[in-house]
Amino acid sequence: MTASKATREQLRRHNRQLMLHAVYSGLADNRAALALETGLAKPTVSDLIGELMDEGLLIEVGRGQSTDSGGKRPTLLQFVPDARQVVGISLDIDRVRGVLCNMAGKIIAQHHASLLDIEGHPVIDIVQHVINGLIAQLDAPLLCIGIGVPGIVENSMGVVRYAPQFGWQNLPLAEILSNCYHVPVYVANKAEMAAMGQFAFGMPNDSRNPVVVLLNSTIEIGMVLGDAIYHNGGDISSLHISRHNETGRLETFLSWPYLKRRAELLRHEYPDTTLPASGLTFMHMQYAALHGDVAARLLVEEITDILAQVFSWIIAMLRPDHISLAGGIVDLGETVLNRIMEKTESLVQPELVQSVRFSLAESYELSALGAVAEALQNELGLVR
Amino acid sequence: MKLGIITNNQYGVFQRDILTGVHEIAHANGYEVLIDSIAEDPLHPRLVSLDWQKLTGVIVIANAASDKLLRQIYESGKPISLVSHRVPGIPIPAVTSHNSQGIAELVRHLVKSCHRRQFVYIRGEMNQDDGIQRETVFRHELMRYNLQSEAMYFVRGDFDPEIAAASIRELLEHQVQFDAVLAADYQMAIAAMELLRTAGIKVPEDVSVAGFGDAPPAQAAGLTTVSADIIELGRRATRQLIGQVNGLTIQGVTTLSVQLMIRDTTCPAT
Repeated sequence: MTASKATREQLRRHNRQLMLHAVYSGLADNRAALALETGLAKPTVSDLIGELMDEGLLIEVGRGQSTDSGGKRPTLLQFVPDARQVVGISLDIDRVRGVLCNMAGKIIAQHHASLLDIEGHPVIDIVQHVINGLIAQLDAPLLCIGIGVPGIVENSMGVVRYAPQFGWQNLPLAEILSNCYHVPVYVANKAEMAAMGQFAFGMPNDSRNPVVVLLNSTIEIGMVLGDAIYHNGGDISSLHISRHNETGRLETFLSWPYLKRRAELLRHEYPDTTLPASGLTFMHMQYAALHGDVAARLLVEEITDILAQVFSWIIAMLRPDHISLAGGIVDLGETVLNRIMEKTESLVQPELVQSVRFSLAESYELSALGAVAEALQNELGLVR
Repeated sequence: MKLGIITNNQYGVFQRDILTGVHEIAHANGYEVLIDSIAEDPLHPRLVSLDWQKLTGVIVIANAASDKLLRQIYESGKPISLVSHRVPGIPIPAVTSHNSQGIAELVRHLVKSCHRRQFVYIRGEMNQDDGIQRETVFRHELMRYNLQSEAMYFVRGDFDPEIAAASIRELLEHQVQFDAVLAADYQMAIAAMELLRTAGIKVPEDVSVAGFGDAPPAQAAGLTTVSADIIELGRRATRQLIGQVNGLTIQGVTTLSVQLMIRDTTCPAT
């Protein structure tokens, strides 16, 4: 098999991305510096700058300093983040969340719709209704759309291979939406999108390979390696795990439907508990546990036990420099995160654990923002 | 092409700002705006008189129209958008400020920066979406900081500064102790602040005061708020409506972010 040659169009696209990335990230701000930074010939740089200026993506903003050897002062270039907007979508079992952002990831508007009372409407219709809600708010042309989906996604094809929550199997989601909105659509697992969101907008710049553990109706992990999503993470709900001689799939210990059932059982066992019979949230668990509620403490202890096992696998196998916990579980707070870290140290070499930073990813829009970052990365090479 | 607006009172501060945003976007897109202001006399509201069937689309501000009328308009296929309102079971798209973000930021500031523990919460109108959501989030956030909602005072305000002031006056008469007042809107917060100062209570030294939403009067009063740009809310609602007129099927809620504005009625940010 021979590597296929890049087409002229692919090369041009790549060169445009190099230029935009150099200006966006402050590596170069004029034509000569861009030629030096990208290694492209000056005429090519000038051509591409002309093209990017015509499209409104770059503007000239006055003159810079001349070099030590004197000569003409260079014309400074600036990236225009508001020239295009990007839609990022994240799907969960009960809700579709969307954000409309400029190219720097600044949120212009958010839109969400429930999936609980959709009266037989296909989920993809609701996804489109959310995208439509954001398109109605566009202040600039739409550049592209990113979508994070729970389940198994073949991102290079934009196909959702398996998302049982929605009855999706081999659904060509990118193609369907791209035909509808006439812009490129990028699809990935939502935990992968969350990792991209953390990487692009939510953590220190020196973090190179962060992992996000996303806990909702499923348990999923997403990871960024270098500057790109590692596309083989995703749903780990079906991994087997044991706790107190009980063995089962991870989701049978940790998914939200399981935790609600477990709380119900504990409520029968401890009738004095303050855990509410309906509308239970992680915040209720945290609050009740802090106030000495035995049922809540047991529940939180069980959660930390299981998460410590998950964290220890991740640390042993992937050696990330940062692990973020995301989803509703972040309401359990820092105390619980610290407890998970302590327990993780008893499962894997403490030195390995100590080299990892841990955090709670508090934004509910993290996956949708990550979808924006992933779309921008693919379209323009613009992340960090 | 005409857009109809159904509102309780077009001269209310909130409604007036919404209408400013509506006019701006409607006129820029070639639409005329007709307003049906049904409750300028709140004691004697009248029925909606707008002939909505002849309009291109309808915006309803807050709870100005009955669920029955909203369902009727929606089921007729007429484009419709709601501002700061939802109707359970009817998927009419809406536009609202980010209530949860706003209240969460105010509580975080009061607890983490100002070390306040004993809150009075002045409620909004509890048959209105913003009023319900803001209080729900407030109770949720109390748990985050290990504060018991049973130990807090939830008083009536109805988004009416006079009612809010009367509620605070009553607390003072009963010598209730508190160190923070959080109001579901800035106008009630201003009324509370003025009353506290008149009673010789130092704001922010003795009691911190903050409210949801922002406008020049809040700025002039030096009130800590979360700024919800209400004119922008009107613009966004109109865009949502025009989007539907142009053929977009929209479901769900567009929310606009808010920003914490720390001023003189609470401690400085830390």
